[in-house]
Amino acid sequence: MLSSSKTIRPALAVFAGLLAHAGAQTPATPVKGTPQAPAPKRSLGGGEYPDYDPAAVERGHKLFVTTCAFCHGANAKGGETGPDLLRSVLVLDDENGNKIGQVVLNGRPDKGMPKFSLTPEQISDIATFLHDRIKAAALRGTYQILNIVVGDPKAGEAYFNGAAGCSGCHSVTGDLAHIGSKYDAVGVQQHIVMPREERYGRSRGPVTAPITVTVTMPQGESFNGTLVRIDDFTVSLVDSNGDLRTFTRNGDNPKVEIHDPLKGHIDLLAKYTDSDIHNLTAYLVTLK
Amino acid sequence: MKFWPRLSTFLFALLPAALVAQMLDPALLLKPATDSWPTYNGDYSGRRFSTLKQIDQSNIKNLNLAWIYRSTPGETPGSIVGGEGPATGSNANDGWGTQIKSTPLMVNGVLYFTTPDNTWAVDARSGRELWHYFWRTRGGIHIGNRGVGMYGNWLFFETPDNYLVSLDAKTGKERWHVEIADVKQEYFSTPAPIIVGNHVIVGTGGDSLDVPGFLEARDPETGQVQWHWWSEPLRKGDPGAETWPDEYSMRHGGGMTWIPGTYDPELHLYYIGTGNPNPVMAGQSRKGDDLFTCSIVALNVDTGKMAWYFQASPHDTHDWDSAQTPVLFDGLIDGKPRKLLAQADRNGYFFVLDRVTGKNVVTKAYLETLNWSKGVDATGRPIPNPEKEPQVAGVLVSPPSGGATNWPSPSFDPESGLFYVSTSQSYSMFYLTDTDPHPEGYGAAERSSGGLGHALRAIDYKTGNTVWRHDYPGGGGLSGLLTTAGKLLFSGDGSNHLLAFDPANGKILWHAGLAGNVSNGPETYMLDGRQYLVVGAGDSLYAFTLAD
Repeated sequence: MLSSSKTIRPALAVFAGLLAHAGAQTPATPVKGTPQAPAPKRSLGGGEYPDYDPAAVERGHKLFVTTCAFCHGANAKGGETGPDLLRSVLVLDDENGNKIGQVVLNGRPDKGMPKFSLTPEQISDIATFLHDRIKAAALRGTYQILNIVVGDPKAGEAYFNGAAGCSGCHSVTGDLAHIGSKYDAVGVQQHIVMPREERYGRSRGPVTAPITVTVTMPQGESFNGTLVRIDDFTVSLVDSNGDLRTFTRNGDNPKVEIHDPLKGHIDLLAKYTDSDIHNLTAYLVTLK
Repeated sequence: MKFWPRLSTFLFALLPAALVAQMLDPALLLKPATDSWPTYNGDYSGRRFSTLKQIDQSNIKNLNLAWIYRSTPGETPGSIVGGEGPATGSNANDGWGTQIKSTPLMVNGVLYFTTPDNTWAVDARSGRELWHYFWRTRGGIHIGNRGVGMYGNWLFFETPDNYLVSLDAKTGKERWHVEIADVKQEYFSTPAPIIVGNHVIVGTGGDSLDVPGFLEARDPETGQVQWHWWSEPLRKGDPGAETWPDEYSMRHGGGMTWIPGTYDPELHLYYIGTGNPNPVMAGQSRKGDDLFTCSIVALNVDTGKMAWYFQASPHDTHDWDSAQTPVLFDGLIDGKPRKLLAQADRNGYFFVLDRVTGKNVVTKAYLETLNWSKGVDATGRPIPNPEKEPQVAGVLVSPPSGGATNWPSPSFDPESGLFYVSTSQSYSMFYLTDTDPHPEGYGAAERSSGGLGHALRAIDYKTGNTVWRHDYPGGGGLSGLLTTAGKLLFSGDGSNHLLAFDPANGKILWHAGLAGNVSNGPETYMLDGRQYLVVGAGDSLYAFTLAD
């Protein structure tokens, strides 16, 4: 048996993206009205990382490639004979070369690592490069999404005009004209899959039409407006005069009907294949 | 139907019989939660079912606010200060806000609870603060803390920078602290220690730099290690090693232990769900099932030796920790009494296992939108669809990494025979960002794709079927749950309310508006003949009792 609130199911989507992780260990989506999750600078794993001097990172990178990469790999993740330095406890414990320098200057004869005669400045640069690489691995908020335009634009166009039903609401010469110029491919894809996120401005795209609600009293009088909030006990709307109206709810009294302009997108979540998403993306990015 | 064995207290015969005011009688840990709340889940079973019934369906309309305690974390006047970090004078919790995720212990009229770096003692009758301890941190993520464990007069809690700290419950003064993991390796600790006999059981977390997970038992007097269990095999030939490509991958394989476990005193087994493998979302360097990550494991509580395991998410690539409470109860399967363990997993499946053997009894998806599995194998394990692993071009997966549920506590009501859990129906796009043969950290990006909100579900443990479900119209949120013999089910609704449901059918019987969302598991206890209901929401505890 399912409980009540069937009539307002579409409204579930309204706040879903906002509240999806309210209680979760993963701080994916900030909750409206509560403090923001940490900035990308801080990883879920914890440490706060300084902003390393890009010039020092670059100098350290070059030195690393010429001096260290032969054993430890060009990306410091380990090579044929040297270990991955990004997971090295010694490197993680290092402060500006104080631990790394000892190993570099003295070598590790027991493990076949020779000594290197580097200046303190060079060691500091190499350490800065390594710490910057660790930061890049640990701070998942900074990961760059790669090339996602792999689909078939023709198939995407057919899907747009056919099974997906996109053309029922959208026009590639109207609201979606030049969408491929307005956004990069990731922005376009998220515009398709997750327009909800755009609504609250955290956001890669335009604010779409608001969710509206009709509240009908037992005597038949009804009120329309933009949905402000709803729970099991109250529903609030702003009417055409800009007035906030809040109604106490008791089951289906008053009757509440939610009109969600993004219902089509929500419904597609269960229907899309990943190929459909890739094809649609490949099609829409061509609308320059 | 018999659900929980009558337990004797002979195990603790060696402990002093005369108890002073603050001391926890260890025998309380072996009983269903009644007049006290002496451990994270109220008792070892994880059911979060109280036999109290002063508050019931007939009088809940008279349930009124008794007091509010609003916490002030940080180094405040009068707080007791410890820790290895710098004296910043402030709370390092910035960015996360203050969320009381711990379930307070209630022992002899005092509530003990935490937020990251902070522990409080509060009078359970009045909500007055008795003492506050603040820990100067060295770092670590301050996302949450599940609370304290208690042994006699001593309290134990873990810190974000991975210390186990012991306090004198009477004064809040520190006895000692010991480091249990290295914050520089990105470990951070959130669990409430669980006390079994003279073992203080502690776990840890941390996902960012591919470190191995572990569980430890520590000595309550000294903090020294009694046993240490790694979540993965250490070397080729060890059990489970065949599910990793090499020793390097298993030693960087994750499997964190960040939720308190449960315990069966007759079987002497401690049950805990392990976290995801590492690298988190890029599986190319750890091909195989990656045991014993995303698993429910049973450990001998005295030795740490694993008795059995059941893997909920083989080769996980979506951050689906199995760190949800493994709930213990005795039930009837095909007419026969069985010792059971049930878990609603983050991956969207509901599992019932025989807790003696670990053999699967029920596997059933409870999330309608779940789209990552090709079915269930002969041993009851879901079969992941490799096409739903993160890809460069993106894949749409439900549930997202946050899961179909997460750490907020479920509840099992032996009177209704139903398992209750807060659930989320959502989707995310997962993009592989690290295509290196040896990816690091998460190795992929996730973008939320919205979804269908949150629901409270009642699941029949015999079938895994959802018997009733309440969808929160405002989207809702995940909340800890409590059931009572007053035929009541308590939950938050994600819209700043505490609700009481009829556990039989999901009808809402009562609600109260709070200043924030329920952020922990509600609890109940009896003091002076009066039943209290206490819940944490944001930075405050709220206590309710019946009006006179």
